[in-house]
Amino acid sequence: MSRPSDFVQGTLDLLLLKILALEPLNGWSISLRLKQVSDDVLQVSDGSLYPALHKLEHHGWIKSEWRQSENNRRAKVYSLTASGKKHLERETANWNRLSVAITHVVKLREV
Amino acid sequence: MGADRWLAMARLRLRTLFRSDALDRELDEELQDHLDHLIDANVASGMTPDAARRQALLAMDGVQQQRESARDVRGWRWLDHTVQDVRYTLRQLRRSPEFTFAVVATLMLGIGANTAMFSLIDSLVLRTLPVHDPPKLAMVTDAPEIGPGYFTNPIWEAIRARRQFVDGAFAYNATQFDLATRGESQMVDGMYASGGIYDVLGVQPIIGRTFHESDDRRGGGESGAVVVISYPFWQRHFGGAADAIGRSLTLNGVPFTVVGVTPPDFFGLEVGRGADVTIPIGCEPLIRGKESFLDRFTTYWLTVVVRLKPSQTIDSATAELRGLQPQIRAATFPPDFPEKERAQYLKDPFTLLPGATGSSVLRSQYQKPLVTMLIVVSLVLLIACANIANLLLARATSRRHEWSLRLALGASRSRLVRLLLTESVLLAIAGAAGGLWIARWGSHLLVQQLSTRTRTVLLDLTIDWRVLAFTTIVTVVTALLFGIVPAFRASGVAPMDALKEHTRNSAGDGRITTANALVIVQVALSVILVVAAALFVRTFTSLANLHLGFDADRVLLVNVGVGRASIPPGERLDAYSRMRDAVAAAPGVAAAGASDVTPVAGMSWNNRIAVSGGVELPDRQRLTNMNAITPGWLVTFGTPLLAGRDFTARDNASGSRVALVNEAFARRFLNGANPIGHTVQQTGFRATPPREIVGLVADAVYRSVREPVPPTMYVPLVQQDLIPGIPPRPQTTISVRATSGSPARLAHGVASAILAISPDASLFFRPLAEQVNASLTQERLVAILSAFFGALALLLAGVGLYGVTSYAVARRRTELGIRMALGAAPGGVVRLVLTRVTVLVAIGIAIGAGVSAWAATFVASLLYGLQPRDPITLAGAAMTLATVGIIAGWLPAYRASRIDPAQVLRDS
Repeated sequence: MSRPSDFVQGTLDLLLLKILALEPLNGWSISLRLKQVSDDVLQVSDGSLYPALHKLEHHGWIKSEWRQSENNRRAKVYSLTASGKKHLERETANWNRLSVAITHVVKLREV
Repeated sequence: MGADRWLAMARLRLRTLFRSDALDRELDEELQDHLDHLIDANVASGMTPDAARRQALLAMDGVQQQRESARDVRGWRWLDHTVQDVRYTLRQLRRSPEFTFAVVATLMLGIGANTAMFSLIDSLVLRTLPVHDPPKLAMVTDAPEIGPGYFTNPIWEAIRARRQFVDGAFAYNATQFDLATRGESQMVDGMYASGGIYDVLGVQPIIGRTFHESDDRRGGGESGAVVVISYPFWQRHFGGAADAIGRSLTLNGVPFTVVGVTPPDFFGLEVGRGADVTIPIGCEPLIRGKESFLDRFTTYWLTVVVRLKPSQTIDSATAELRGLQPQIRAATFPPDFPEKERAQYLKDPFTLLPGATGSSVLRSQYQKPLVTMLIVVSLVLLIACANIANLLLARATSRRHEWSLRLALGASRSRLVRLLLTESVLLAIAGAAGGLWIARWGSHLLVQQLSTRTRTVLLDLTIDWRVLAFTTIVTVVTALLFGIVPAFRASGVAPMDALKEHTRNSAGDGRITTANALVIVQVALSVILVVAAALFVRTFTSLANLHLGFDADRVLLVNVGVGRASIPPGERLDAYSRMRDAVAAAPGVAAAGASDVTPVAGMSWNNRIAVSGGVELPDRQRLTNMNAITPGWLVTFGTPLLAGRDFTARDNASGSRVALVNEAFARRFLNGANPIGHTVQQTGFRATPPREIVGLVADAVYRSVREPVPPTMYVPLVQQDLIPGIPPRPQTTISVRATSGSPARLAHGVASAILAISPDASLFFRPLAEQVNASLTQERLVAILSAFFGALALLLAGVGLYGVTSYAVARRRTELGIRMALGAAPGGVVRLVLTRVTVLVAIGIAIGAGVSAWAATFVASLLYGLQPRDPITLAGAAMTLATVGIIAGWLPAYRASRIDPAQVLRDS
């Protein structure tokens, strides 16, 4: 029942955008993909996925529509919007800069 | 940022706002779908259905919580909460209608009274004139400390000839005109105005036209004598008919042509009175004939208003006006002015005063009383707030259980505080809505009270932004005042309380401490209001019961105007005497007398005099008030003659010159010696031959009941010293005493007696008692209002004290029961409870008395006949509060002493 740390919470948006950039998915598939790509390092509960998705949707970065899925169940499918795509690019660039910087700092030799 | 994104966001926001139930359903479906997938997956991995379900729920990290946080990310969440809170609160309030009614009614009265007072102050003091760009208006004066000045027509014409120094200028004189063509007068408020008034003010007619410079010619312009009427007059007199334009209107017997109607909100420049008919100054000779003011160099009657140029400030315009001053003064010199006064006349500097709010006699009289009353009603509202806070605190106790349950279930404290403040705000808004209604009604009632028979007060009481802002602020402050303490006390509830059975006793004494503090505040505020009420009521009663020096009952005043009559001006005084004789002979008349001045009519006439053998006095103190009377006048008024003789028919124009004086006169000029036989004469540049003082009369009120009786000298009406070239005034007042009954019944007989002598005379009747009453309008109003609100304060404080004591008794029921079981006497219990009450009330009275003693000095100018720190008043107020306190405390105390110990012990 551990809550994701603030750091992970911040990166969760980025991950979700990235996953949706590859293909439109419903909530369940996103959660599977999330577990799969993050090798269980990111402890995101199944539930907290939805507040995060809804927040992205309210920011206009992703949109949703109801589609008929395989076994005839209705599923809400999320996909990236144009501005979501731009936002992802910006955030990715930021992330890269940040991770380079942090890697740099962490590698400093202690005296 | 793309437009598509804004569009998507806007769509979602709108859906959130209007279709939030649909969104909730979709969210539930989504979460359920996910849960089903999880369970399926768990079952597939070999769990039992039960375990699979439990595991899935755990993985979801609380479906309900996720649902809430997913809803929280939507915008408008606050609105959602607010709507919920409002719905919940409304439900709660419906469930306790008595509480809701009590609170809303109290607030309605409190906020309504405050709004009514403020809207009066707003319309009388704060509001700018409903004209174009009022801040650019300025009024000319030669006595800036008094206010806008009055000028002669020659001075106005001299300023008009030089008006290029500003953007425009006009002059006006607020007056009354008589609509009646014969018989009883029908007075209407109006004004003389110069032709530029409407152009300078930027007032457009709603029908017809206004008048212009070209209409302001002596005797009338191209269209002849024209009149512009007000919207209310148009409605009243012409029924709002469009063909009113071009119709004729008779003013003081002279026909005028109606040319236009001003907009509904335009009332002229005198705030508090209307200008129903406005005629050009040039038409004034049509009304006054040979006695026209237009060429008089010593008749000051016009107020001059200018509009500043955009580049000008009031100071720079004043400087330019002063530059023109020597020319203006030199051109308007009174021809027979003595050398000494010439220099002074030339020097008197002109000053411009801000004119955005017009001028107002009413304002200078009522500003302070109204502000005082606003403070009074705001204190009443504070007391009401304390009561409501106490009610809410008491309610809070019964709702503790519910709140701790809410906290236990995860509601945040801030959410709880918000919920309670929502209740306060809703109550306050309901009170404010009702208050606005009460204020509308109340302020009209107040304005009606200000009006007298001769003075119709007209104030624009429409609710403007200032009044709305005031009410809004009062409402918010009120809600916070009575809501904040209970709300924060409630948020201090411990969640665990919900689980306990007897939470009441574990609640601590905090509520009692707060309630006690509130009671002390209430008592203190009530003391202040009771002191204020006592001061104002005593002021009024001492004025109303003052020894006037005359008997106002059974006297009818008849104003007789002969301006339109055929009597030659030179024979007027004689005609007045004959009218007086005819009236005295009319049936039912005990006595009658004509005079120039009647008491408390607001008029004053004084002269500088010297008395033979009198005390040496500096120039300034040698003023005496004057009146010109006929024989019978003193008898009519019941003013006793103390020595010598009254005037008789022999004191006529050809008789020897005589005078009567009052006691104040004898004290001032003769050190109280018998004045009979001394001579008196006017001094100064219009010196007159001496008169012999033939009688001493008792002191009688002259202009105002509030002023000490001034030295007064009476001269026979027909022996008046007239200014050369100026005929006697075309009006007089005949006072008539009835042998019995109401003086109003004399009107018919008196009218026919006067009209038999001058069929064209205009008459206006008014009982003297009413004139005296009207002169005390302000004091009466302040006394009534302060007494009403003082009583209301006492009632509220009493109720508050009673409530708090009852509550305290209820809380201590067990303790008191045990005490009585152990042998305490009922009297002891009463004492126990009353001691607490006494302490609270005593503290409150001490604070209140202290504040009153300090604050009362600010209303000193509104008082008469007593000191602001009048000890009797303070002691009386303290006694009143103590009495109310004891009664409010004794009832619960008595109930406490009737507690049945056996019952109490069984209950616990």
